[in-house]
Amino acid sequence: MGTVQTYDNNQLHVEVDAAERAVTLRFLGKSMLREPGEFLLPLLLKTLSEAIDGKKRIVLDFRELAYMNSSTLTPVIKILERARVGKGEITLVYRKALKWQDISFSALVIFQTPDGRILIQGEG
Amino acid sequence: MDTELDLRVKADWAEMGRVNEEAGGFLAACGLGAEAVQMYTMVVCELVENAIKYGVFVDEEDRIEVHVTVSPVSVSVQVTHHCQVTGGPALGDLDRTVQWLRSYQAPFEAYVARMKAISREPLDADKSGLGLARITYEGRALLDFYVDENSRLSVSAVSSLV
Repeated sequence: MGTVQTYDNNQLHVEVDAAERAVTLRFLGKSMLREPGEFLLPLLLKTLSEAIDGKKRIVLDFRELAYMNSSTLTPVIKILERARVGKGEITLVYRKALKWQDISFSALVIFQTPDGRILIQGEG
Repeated sequence: MDTELDLRVKADWAEMGRVNEEAGGFLAACGLGAEAVQMYTMVVCELVENAIKYGVFVDEEDRIEVHVTVSPVSVSVQVTHHCQVTGGPALGDLDRTVQWLRSYQAPFEAYVARMKAISREPLDADKSGLGLARITYEGRALLDFYVDENSRLSVSAVSSLV
């Protein structure tokens, strides 16, 4: 495990774990913000930029997220698309055994790339 | 036998935590499984979020009314609040979105189409428009709405349990 920083906003907590080969963002709690993009998008863009410079993969880990509103998906979609058409490697991990996560996140497979730069993975 | 929940919600985003907790607690008390509780809690919360965002609240005492009914065969959620009937964009947007959702044979297709549209929007465009698509796809619900003679908009989402 590398350096871990925590970002909190209301009931949503994001742990950013910067290791040697990857930067993992763990999403915890509930995401019910009115404008989640104001909180998440700057964090995601900064992480993407730094990960590209450091040649690291970003892991977006939603497995411990208990609830999210639909607005939370907007910044996630935008960062996946930005990496898909540009640079960067992102793995999005969700908990397949949780039906709401499986339904919500598995649809993001449309942003997956054949070369594996963008991966959408259901686990557990 | 039907079991019902009525909530009166202030048009304040700080209320969303309470709505989430009370809807989830009610649905669990009705004997629904964990997956169904999460699914229909999402439906309630998405509809209340839309009400807070797009409703008209002039009077301090104005409240969003939430009515949830669980029967042996369905879960029904109705959210009611004042709206701007003429000259306001919200009602027209709602009508267009519901018609657009109905134009797809499968809710999944509408959900994916909306995600693709979001991916093409500028970074600073903050309106997702994904909530209603999520209700029909993830919540497997039929959406409808009407406006009564007092300019109160009722949006309903009905999901079959059978």
